Amino acid sequence: MAADTTDPAEEFGSNRSWLYDTTPGFYLRKVLIWGTTLGLSTFILFPLYWMVVTAFKTTSEIQQIPPTVVPETPSLEGFRLVVESSLAAGGFDSFLGWDISSAIDIDVLLLIANSLKVAVGAGLIALVFGTIAAYVLSQQEFRGKNAIMSLLLASLMFPGTAIMVPEWELISTLNLFNSHLALILIYGAMTAPFVVWLMKGFFDDFPDSILDAARMDQCTPYESFRYVIAPMAVNSLIASFIFAFLLAWNELVFALTLLNQSKFTVPPGLLTFVQGFNTQWNVVAAASILVSLPVLAGLAYIQRYFVQGLTGGAIKG
Amino acid sequence: MTTLELDGVTKTFGAPDAGGVVAVDDVSLTVDDGEFLVLLGPSGCGKTTTLRMIGGLETPTEGVISFDGTEVNEVKARNRDVAMVFQNFALYPHMNVSQNLGFGLRRENEDRSSEEIIDRIEAVAEMLEIEGLLDNTPAALSGGQKQRVALGRAIIREPRLFLFDEPLANLDASLRKTMRTEIDELQSEVGITSVYVTHNQEEAMSIGDKIAVMNDGRLQQLGTPSEVFNEPSNQFVAQFVGSPDMNLYEGTLTENGDVYRVNVGITEFDLPSGLVQAGDDVLDVVVGFRPQDLFQSRTRQTGGPKIEADLRVVEPLGTEAILYGETEGRAIRATDTQFHDLDEDQSVTLSIAPEHIYLFDANTEELLKGRLMTEREDTGVGEVEVRDGAGAEVRDG
Repeated sequence: MAADTTDPAEEFGSNRSWLYDTTPGFYLRKVLIWGTTLGLSTFILFPLYWMVVTAFKTTSEIQQIPPTVVPETPSLEGFRLVVESSLAAGGFDSFLGWDISSAIDIDVLLLIANSLKVAVGAGLIALVFGTIAAYVLSQQEFRGKNAIMSLLLASLMFPGTAIMVPEWELISTLNLFNSHLALILIYGAMTAPFVVWLMKGFFDDFPDSILDAARMDQCTPYESFRYVIAPMAVNSLIASFIFAFLLAWNELVFALTLLNQSKFTVPPGLLTFVQGFNTQWNVVAAASILVSLPVLAGLAYIQRYFVQGLTGGAIKG
Repeated sequence: MTTLELDGVTKTFGAPDAGGVVAVDDVSLTVDDGEFLVLLGPSGCGKTTTLRMIGGLETPTEGVISFDGTEVNEVKARNRDVAMVFQNFALYPHMNVSQNLGFGLRRENEDRSSEEIIDRIEAVAEMLEIEGLLDNTPAALSGGQKQRVALGRAIIREPRLFLFDEPLANLDASLRKTMRTEIDELQSEVGITSVYVTHNQEEAMSIGDKIAVMNDGRLQQLGTPSEVFNEPSNQFVAQFVGSPDMNLYEGTLTENGDVYRVNVGITEFDLPSGLVQAGDDVLDVVVGFRPQDLFQSRTRQTGGPKIEADLRVVEPLGTEAILYGETEGRAIRATDTQFHDLDEDQSVTLSIAPEHIYLFDANTEELLKGRLMTEREDTGVGEVEVRDGAGAEVRDG
């Protein structure tokens, strides 16, 4: 019967399995799809959930076996310790007239300030150099252009730690050891290739006629960039900045290697509280949540630009 | 107000010896002050490149472009005081309509007062009837509205030259006709020298004071619309201008006393020798009949050739129809108003007035005889007997 049909659509329909033809098949498919979704979601979201509930547990409940999924005696002890310690370290306790004798030594505000400094600096460096490079690579024809693009892509593919030793030598030679500038330069260099690829996509798709129109409207090249290209590129620029910012914000190994504890950024700063059997996990979790909040708030606000910027080159033309 | 002159302008992309492309080849032409020139040609013929060179967006490889006798080859686009309307409108998407219109004014002179800019935006918006759209972004506009804004952006600066790069190609057919009239009126109103690029011959005929027909980077002919239609300099121009396409048949021309005998296979006819200047006794020629000039000989008689054709398709267009026929295995196209009683597969006898026949030299493809308008009967074509304005009637049909 199927051999007689020449209509490919019909043939395709007749070859369908019972999964598509029967009611049980329909429900099985639903179950499989939902099951897979649920499994993946758990895999991704459970660690986050565990961090949050840990922050609300007491030290004794954390060490309880079997562990509790929902805190039995919810407690803000972890948060209290982190906030009090940070206030004390920042000198705010005497300012507020409180007497705090903290059992721990953590200064979340300083960590956030250090990280912001490094991440914003790295983001700006990657943005400025990456955008200029992308513009040239997109608009100019020259020998070795493809080689440069491939090299930039390759540099994104191998882990930064692979060049840890030469980097350490370089920073040491430049006498930048234990300075945030060292991290800004390294993170900026690590993310610039991504910015080049993202922005090159944008510039490749930038309509030539708009540039021509700007030239006919008597723009100098700088004015074309300032009044026409830059405003149109704002979404892609923001997306590039966020990417570079997040990488710098999350990076642990370079920060741990090149900085002393007094200048730590967030990731190595949190790591100092993981101390074998004495680790106060509720404090670590609470600190993790507190340092994430400013970034989460910022990203929530500009995430629409991020999505637009990433897809803009592909679909808007 | 500006006279534009191109002298031997050539543009080559890439190295000429390494497979470079000659986009524009030795084009020379003059556009007088206030004149509307249309650059017409198929895609890839170099017309847009020519326009971009006039605007300063490309630099000529050879030759001189001058405005009012001053060479501008080295003058940058932004210093030429030229405005251009683009095929895809090229409005700035991040600016609203009023900002789009005012942008060029602001760039032209940073010190210009905001009041003056606003006044001029309002004046132009009123002229183009887009007052209500000034706060909209381009994304919220229809194609026709976008094109008006693009026109406004060109007009507002009162430039020395207007350049139009297929401005109507992205609009739908009915809008295209309206906008074409509007552009024509607007240009006459402001009287600024304009160059307009199109591949649409109908648009070129209706809008241009002069038409420059281009093919393969070369200028084929520069003339008024009627010159280009009636006296095409060669076979290419004849075929490109006019719709439906001209019927072309290869044949021979033989001198025979005081007439020339023309044999094109499908028919044979005599042309009075006053109509043709042919040097040789026998000449290979290509004969052209415009579909508009062919008529059914049962309705009229002339001294012209008679062609028996079997109708294949009758394509009614309202008042007239395009008849697609076949004669001796060759296709023939004609238009006629007398089509209501015609059936497909019927045979008809088509005829044409001798003065409407085109003749080309088969070797050089150059024109030997153009289409004589019947008004010209008193200007030296004495031998031709014009039968009660037959040609004019056919054209009206």
